[in-house]
Amino acid sequence: MAMKIGSNEFNERVGQGIDDAFMRGAVSGAQDSMGVRRSNAAEELGNWEDWRSHGEEIRQHVLEHLDYYLEQLSKNVAELGGHVFFAETKEEANEYIRGIAQKKQAKKIVKAKSMVTEEIGLNAVLEEEGCKVIETDLGEYILQVDDHDPPSHIVVPALHKNKEQIRDVFKEKLGYKKTSKPEELALHAREMLREEYMTADIGITGCNFAVAESGSISLVTNEGNADLVTALPKTQITVMGMERIVPTFEEMEVLVSLLTRSAVGQKLTSYISVLTGPREAQDADGPEEFHLVIVDNGRSDILGGEFQSILQCIRCAACINVCPVYRHIGGHSYGSIYSGPIGAVLSPLLGGYDEYKELPYASTLCGACTEVCPVKIPLHDLLHKHREVIVEKEGKAPISEKLLMKSFGIGAASPMLYKFGTKFAPTALNPYTNGESISKGPGPMKAWTDIREFPAPNKERFRDWFKNRKKEENAHGRDDSESR
Amino acid sequence: MAGTIQNQDKFLNKIASRLGRERISSPVERPDWKYRPQDEVLKNASQDELVDVLKKQCANIHTDFYETEKKDLPEVLEQIVSSYGGGPVITWKDDRYAQWGLESLFKKEWPKNNIEVREWDFENGEESIIKAESANAAITISEITLAESGTTVLFSDKDKGRMVSFLPATYIALVPKSSLVPRITQAAQKMREMQQETGRVPSCINFITGPSNSADIELNLVVGVHGPIKASYILINDL
Amino acid sequence: MKVSLFVTCLGDLFQSDVGKATVEVLERLGCDIDFPESQVCCGQPAYNSGYVKESKEAMKRMMKAFDHSEYVVCPSGSCAYMFHEYQHIFKSDPVWEPKAKKLAEKTYELTEFIVDVLKVDDVGAKFEGNVTYHTSCHMTRLLGVKSAPMTLLSNVEGLKYTELPGKEQCCGFGGTFSVKMGPISEQMVDEKVQHVEETEAEYLIGADSGCLMNIGGRINRKGKPIKVLHIAEVLNSR
Repeated sequence: MAMKIGSNEFNERVGQGIDDAFMRGAVSGAQDSMGVRRSNAAEELGNWEDWRSHGEEIRQHVLEHLDYYLEQLSKNVAELGGHVFFAETKEEANEYIRGIAQKKQAKKIVKAKSMVTEEIGLNAVLEEEGCKVIETDLGEYILQVDDHDPPSHIVVPALHKNKEQIRDVFKEKLGYKKTSKPEELALHAREMLREEYMTADIGITGCNFAVAESGSISLVTNEGNADLVTALPKTQITVMGMERIVPTFEEMEVLVSLLTRSAVGQKLTSYISVLTGPREAQDADGPEEFHLVIVDNGRSDILGGEFQSILQCIRCAACINVCPVYRHIGGHSYGSIYSGPIGAVLSPLLGGYDEYKELPYASTLCGACTEVCPVKIPLHDLLHKHREVIVEKEGKAPISEKLLMKSFGIGAASPMLYKFGTKFAPTALNPYTNGESISKGPGPMKAWTDIREFPAPNKERFRDWFKNRKKEENAHGRDDSESR
Repeated sequence: MAGTIQNQDKFLNKIASRLGRERISSPVERPDWKYRPQDEVLKNASQDELVDVLKKQCANIHTDFYETEKKDLPEVLEQIVSSYGGGPVITWKDDRYAQWGLESLFKKEWPKNNIEVREWDFENGEESIIKAESANAAITISEITLAESGTTVLFSDKDKGRMVSFLPATYIALVPKSSLVPRITQAAQKMREMQQETGRVPSCINFITGPSNSADIELNLVVGVHGPIKASYILINDL
Repeated sequence: MKVSLFVTCLGDLFQSDVGKATVEVLERLGCDIDFPESQVCCGQPAYNSGYVKESKEAMKRMMKAFDHSEYVVCPSGSCAYMFHEYQHIFKSDPVWEPKAKKLAEKTYELTEFIVDVLKVDDVGAKFEGNVTYHTSCHMTRLLGVKSAPMTLLSNVEGLKYTELPGKEQCCGFGGTFSVKMGPISEQMVDEKVQHVEETEAEYLIGADSGCLMNIGGRINRKGKPIKVLHIAEVLNSR
């Protein structure tokens, strides 16, 4: 699976999302509870805005000096005995990792949850190589067992499934015999996965934040699966998006704090592992061999441009958890593993406008995403920028809309035309008007009246009322406001 | 084994060119950040106040909290392990257990009561992992303890296997009162000092906050997904 | 105090009652209202759809139309916010950026103007009924006006207020979003209408004509017995 999910058109996907009653119940319930947890975790600090500003200044500094920090990181990793591979494309990353699997004659690979490996479609490449690839994050595991159902949320990937569906999948694929209680389902996964960790040849992880000064990587989980993935197999491969880096441990802790509070409303998650190089000389656990794959895959094209701030993202999903559009259509509607506001900004940048031109319009620009972003990415502004690019640079807007907007430009910009146009609106709309509203509007108004009544234009425009009133006042003389 | 770096220059040159400048060749000074909200958290809190914060936070993270003097530590530990259903118990190879008066419990009382005590042995690594996997309780020591989040911090080394804390069904951390700091900020500062003084930090530093858990199924919290199902912290007042 | 009214295109054409109420409330508070005849639309519909070039012409018109004004007051948070956005849209434009800044400095949303500039918390209105209030997104999040409407409503005699559940959630209007993404917008407005019903209010009040047209249009389509009013109309009732 790569970044793109499914083959349906945007409108079809949205239709399916809207019709999926369970998914919608799950998403709105999740948004309501995650929203409260996030805002409590932010508010209890008392100076959340300072935290956000600090997060922002760290991320901006890193992006401005990204080549420096990546060089420092790779030098330190190599000094510790690790191997660093810089991959400009997803193909380069996948080939490098395939090469390691071949060299190690790997049969079994365990993975901790990683968005970037989803983005580059790594699992398919390794499976093609004959490796058994096992996702160990409970949510990812459920999806994998269910014939690779795509994730619908970047933090809670199986959010769209209910426990009965999960029980049925386990029953069919794993011979599960118990109930749909989450405890029993999780226990079953625990038993299945323990065995896999103990016998895996390679462990693959993503990276929440790499630390340039020490050559470390940090992994943030609640389950602790990343610890098993990195401690038991002899070879560890960590794949990181090139922007996921901080100067020192001191910045790491700030971003980890922002991440855990924003993502799940926790002060810290249950497990945060800071891993530095392969195991030390006499250690009995931890990887003997450590590979760090640093992935560009379109990110450098975002640098230096008007969308650079999207690379500040720390993948907390707070924007997804407040988005009123995501609430009603769910993650799969976005057609990308990156959904919600972050997905609507990032997917067209990484995957192109041809594939994702609708996403920037899947927003009311309500600004809820921008308000919660812990590193102050102006998400709704970036969505707007995409629209501007689509209209003005890419020329991908529909012709009818262009004509309408062109006439808007002429009409709204000219007071004469505006006055003229608005004066005759009631006459023009008269045939459609029924009392105070219009139920079946013509042309572009139809899309509105399919759903709601449209107000009939006032018989007398405000400006006419105001003018007449002034005239009357002048005619009768005006004393003071009290006398009227 | 020496490490390697591949494809670096082309990759980093592209980044520099996108940023509209040459590659950075001289060290970048760590900026004087405009904001430092992390320093305000529990600022000037006394050690006793930090204990209170930790105690309260333990309730939020499904972790049992015990407080004891060093002299009573064996008794408290024994009770917790029996409440967890007994052994086998796995420990690190660490002199501090003996210094804190646990030698007799580990070597005499528990064995006498059929509670097997296993010690991590790097020279028999595979066996140690298997022993940890089948152990019921792990006994570890928190090097730094974060009051705000209720987090114990473990440093790995050859005698302190990473998997001791993780594979057994239950997790017990011995927490010297002196290890308490306000939050992760102070731990990060210590790690940085260690890195600067000795050239490196342990290959695995683990921040553990309560038992393993997941909310991946309908956002229901399930405790004990991959790692321990239960967790206890024992605060030792006079250490 | 001389106040120039920016009535908005919706206010001019479809909701002239809102403009009228605004004029009457402000006059009662001692303002002298001026209506610059050459005002058009603020450009937001085209701008938000990505037609920046087209919308800039309308924005320039508006800056000219209100050039002389001491205060500009607008009975719509979203449109008032748009006036504040001009300075970013015309950033680094030597001619228009200064004008845009000037416009932003003197532009207020109606309730914000009454509370923050006129320093009035009670306009002396009387309104009998159970009401709830929709906090529109642009007004609260982007313009940052949160408390002024609540302050004014809390002092209206006879008015009984119930908070709207999920009040911070968008109603699904979003300008052209409401037609471009019709099916999604429909779900959003339906949830909003459902929340309004849960309050058992007879009136839904708001300070943004776009949102009110959207929620009100859906309420009418569904034949619900809830009336939709702009806050200016409530503040103008005696």
